[in-house]
Amino acid sequence: MPFDAMSEVSDDALLVLYANGDAAAARALTTRLTPKVLGHAYRMLGDRAEAEDVAQEAMLRLWRIAAEWRQGEAKVTTWLYRVVANLCTDRLRKRRSVDIDSVPEPEDPAIGAEQGLQQVARAEALQTALDSLPERQREAVVLRHIEGLGNPEIAEIMDISPRAVESLTARGKRALAEVLAGRREELGYQDD
Amino acid sequence: MTDKQQDSDGLEAFFDAARNTAPDPDAAFMARILDDALSVQGEAVAPPRPATKRDGFFSQILRGIGGWPALTGLAAATVAGVWIGLNPPAAVSDQLASLIGTSSATTDATDSDWLLDPLTEYDIAMTGG
Repeated sequence: MPFDAMSEVSDDALLVLYANGDAAAARALTTRLTPKVLGHAYRMLGDRAEAEDVAQEAMLRLWRIAAEWRQGEAKVTTWLYRVVANLCTDRLRKRRSVDIDSVPEPEDPAIGAEQGLQQVARAEALQTALDSLPERQREAVVLRHIEGLGNPEIAEIMDISPRAVESLTARGKRALAEVLAGRREELGYQDD
Repeated sequence: MTDKQQDSDGLEAFFDAARNTAPDPDAAFMARILDDALSVQGEAVAPPRPATKRDGFFSQILRGIGGWPALTGLAAATVAGVWIGLNPPAAVSDQLASLIGTSSATTDATDSDWLLDPLTEYDIAMTGG
């Protein structure tokens, strides 16, 4: 199947094709899922190199489970977000046990030249604020407000009820608002 | 999904900025992921065949004669042969004695001829009738 023809194929159908030895499916899944996985890992960890390690490991687990994947049972992205969250939790736990000061400063993500410095500054400020949240709040806020997932899917990823998701995101947003309140003027928010 | 309509805390602009500055995977990183995908796929599609042990002498013989069912038939025939050897039926022992030339004086040739050619008397009857 040519690569172009795969844009309409669902993730789990692609995974079945991949398991059957289709190299084009491997390329399509890599292109489609890697940015999501890397983005989520970066927002959870605030460190590009670590996020790449986690993303690579999560994708490797996906390749390995492909042959056993049962089509229609779970969304591939739901499974991947859960794997990423678990891997990030392990890393954050190790980080805490090693050295609390070793938490990296948010890095300048690779962005196009057309994107303004102010956008970068706001994203960095948000990342710093996210890093200060408890892990579960951070995960819920990132999935809900940056990845744009619905509460039922987040509940499935985090293995909690949708009401618990609402509670986590509400507390997370309140904490973010407090942290960012002092930086609004500096970041160009005079009106709101 | 992004709750723009409920942006009372002013966070939506920060979330927008985060979405717009998402870390893009560079080409080298994408190549690494694809390499993993293709190598796992290669292993899964063509798993290495485990080295098969060569059959031993007995196994080859067994397979040559048709496996275990053939062997049971062979064993039954052997047991039957041994049994006949140890405890032969009277007719067999008389016939055998005449063949190897140890017939007793009381046994004449006509007594055992019917065993050698059971059709003889029938043939005579046919010619006579």
